[in-house]
Amino acid sequence: MIDNNVKGGQAGTRPALSAQHLTKTFGGIHALNDVSLNVKQSEVHALLGENGSGKSTFIKILSGYHRPEDGGEVLIDGQPLTFGSPASTYDLGCRFVHQDLGLIPSSSILDNLYLNSGFPTRFGTIRGTDARRLASADLAKVGLTVDPREIVSNLTPSMRTGVAIARALIDDGRSAVRLLVLDEPTATLPQNEVDSLLEIVRSTAESGVGVLYVTHRLDEVFDIADIITVLRDGRKVATTPVANLDRRQLVTLLVGSEFDEIHSESINLHSEHGTNILQVEGMIAGPLDRVGFSARPGDIIGFAGITGSGRETILGATFGAVARDAGSVSMEGISIAAQRPDDSMNAGMAYLPPDRKTSGGFMDFTACENLTISNLNKFWRYFRLNRKAENSETQHWFVELGVRPQTAINLPLFGFSGGNQQKILFGKWLSRKPKVLLLDEPTQGVDIGAKAELHRRLLKAAADGAAVIISSSDVDELVAICHRVFVMCNGRITVLLEGSNLTVGKITHECLAVQEEKTA
Amino acid sequence: MIGTNGSTNGRKFRDMDFGFDRFSGLYIWGLFIIIFALWVPDSFLDMNTARGLASEKSIIVLLALALMIPLAAGAYDLSIGATTNISAVLVAQLQTANGWGMWSAIAMAVGVGFVVGVVNGFVVVKLKVNSFIATLAMASIIASVIIIITGQRQPVPPMDEQWRNLTQFQIFGFQSVALIVLAFALILWWFMQHTPSGRYLYAVGGNAEAARLSGVKVGKWTWISLIISGTTCGIAGVLYASLVGVSLTFGGALLLPAFAAVFLGSTQFMPGKFNVWGTVLAVIVLATGVKGLQLATGQQWLETMFNGVALIAAVSFAVWRQKQSKVRTREKELEARDASRTSDQ
Repeated sequence: MIDNNVKGGQAGTRPALSAQHLTKTFGGIHALNDVSLNVKQSEVHALLGENGSGKSTFIKILSGYHRPEDGGEVLIDGQPLTFGSPASTYDLGCRFVHQDLGLIPSSSILDNLYLNSGFPTRFGTIRGTDARRLASADLAKVGLTVDPREIVSNLTPSMRTGVAIARALIDDGRSAVRLLVLDEPTATLPQNEVDSLLEIVRSTAESGVGVLYVTHRLDEVFDIADIITVLRDGRKVATTPVANLDRRQLVTLLVGSEFDEIHSESINLHSEHGTNILQVEGMIAGPLDRVGFSARPGDIIGFAGITGSGRETILGATFGAVARDAGSVSMEGISIAAQRPDDSMNAGMAYLPPDRKTSGGFMDFTACENLTISNLNKFWRYFRLNRKAENSETQHWFVELGVRPQTAINLPLFGFSGGNQQKILFGKWLSRKPKVLLLDEPTQGVDIGAKAELHRRLLKAAADGAAVIISSSDVDELVAICHRVFVMCNGRITVLLEGSNLTVGKITHECLAVQEEKTA
Repeated sequence: MIGTNGSTNGRKFRDMDFGFDRFSGLYIWGLFIIIFALWVPDSFLDMNTARGLASEKSIIVLLALALMIPLAAGAYDLSIGATTNISAVLVAQLQTANGWGMWSAIAMAVGVGFVVGVVNGFVVVKLKVNSFIATLAMASIIASVIIIITGQRQPVPPMDEQWRNLTQFQIFGFQSVALIVLAFALILWWFMQHTPSGRYLYAVGGNAEAARLSGVKVGKWTWISLIISGTTCGIAGVLYASLVGVSLTFGGALLLPAFAAVFLGSTQFMPGKFNVWGTVLAVIVLATGVKGLQLATGQQWLETMFNGVALIAAVSFAVWRQKQSKVRTREKELEARDASRTSDQ
């Protein structure tokens, strides 16, 4: 079908990147399994794969964060890379632009460009005019014509990405740039900004640099890439020139044979009956554009979508964790004010934020304090908090959810592994017996065993009459436990999948579908 | 099973550290007493020294507690010195110059402390000014109000028995001020450790965003912490005026000792958390050290030097300790996981 063995590099020209037989295991599981990949000079090589396919592991090996297993080799412009050494990566001419860019928004372009590599100075004083001239030249390399004195936060998102790329390409006299790795540069860009960024990438490649371009968006792959490598479950499934592919073939490569697999468990028991408990209408917040949905007791509803589609905003906006500009949320017919988590909770909602460390848990507090913080009045008896009752409640949930170590109810939260932390936070919300359970990325950074256990708990919560609503970038997870999945694109719900339509392939396909129509 | 037993024993053995960690303040206090008892036995071992110290430091304890409450909730209150000052000035002036009764003057002085807390809270919560800046500015504003009220003349404190007895009444040889402050500390301890309110304050200070998403009203509790702080300072001012009279400047000088005590206190009893008894202990340990050195050497600069050094030492120790405990907790958890894995098999 598709040529799996395109040999990189014509005779005579050394490839910018030649990675051979990279393997990486975490706890016996292959994150990356014998992956080889070549990027020629002036080539834009797209690296695609679902979450967990091994893309980020591959990049982290290049950047010196991970060491691969023995037997792997990476050559940058013919020079062998020392694994696990960011300095070696830099010296050989590898540059990275990550999704968050790492710019200082309140500083000027000029300051952002030279903070790391050093300003041109005389007697310790920055030579302003020279610096500006230099900056203009560096910006011109990526096709940007903008005053270097402009403050970064005033720039459009694509220009900011351009500045980050320009910074990555600065010639600091130590090593020439051979390879530029762009990690999902367009994930948070609005559609109309993407084209200008692609222009920047193109002119970068034309200057002779090899570009490794990681993305989720399929249409830009066809716009910009010369060649595509697809990873799935840590293995390379194909390396093929873009010209040999159409979109349907690419989607098939991405999701594999599961494309036609049917959602096996038909556990949709309760939701046939009953009235809506949660009703969301015309919600505008962040990328969300007049979104509405409803849930009935016993429902398990999923939200899928690529980053920036609104999938990551919808539950927070419903609960009141993030501001909403318009629209209404009502529980059992009673409307709930925006940005009032306390009101939402009183009405019977629970919300598990996506990030345990910054917004989900109190890392320095004990497991017990974390578990009871939203339910303290229950333990307030005779003018004091009843510690014994708190402890026994915590112990109950530790046993119920299988938290390890089982007796460590007064250990600080940071002492637990990710999966156990998540179980404790599950316990916090389940102990309130919520009517609507909103979960953002409920099993992110959780090991497989804990994940299965958390999924079982969600099924049980739904069976007991709660409406469970999950937003997840893990499509397998949505297929495994949801009755219905809403797919989001560009801030809107585009399709509802249920029954035999609820498959990994269908969801992935629909996540990328709107872009397909646009280009078609 | 063998694995389980082995590691439990190992852990127990390591935990037998006599609480040097959490109770280091008590050990250091004991050390101070022994050293100075040997060095200057006549003056240091006098019961009057202890009693004098108890009264003298009561006000600092109160100020340190006033500072501790908002700090636990993640807010600074740098206006505590100024608030105490204005309360002391008011309670004296209202009685001697304006002829108010004692209790109404006290109510007014404490009420002003309460109002300062309310205003601080408004600026921090509603105007969203950083608490450090807001309360620093408030301290300056209060200082100018004091000048307006007094016209730069130090008010004369009342001379009657009842007023002095408020703090100088003798109970078992100790002056009543020490007992009032002790009772106050007891109430604050109950409030912070045994009520949902205390838990919410710590939650806001621990992670404001997580607290908000847990349904805790962050603004409300920040505000309340500043009101408690202001009111406590109001009480401290009244007690100070009754105990030693009125000075226009003493409050500002108490700010740093209060900081030293609160941060030193956060390394004691409940490491990593600002807590009532840790704060009280820290004041006592610092006071004992300073007093002993003063009796031994007669130097006046010792106290400020001691407090400054103690503040830096306390904070750096707290940072170091935090890191250590994270490493150790992680080790313990891994050990326990190994143990449970062994016993599962």
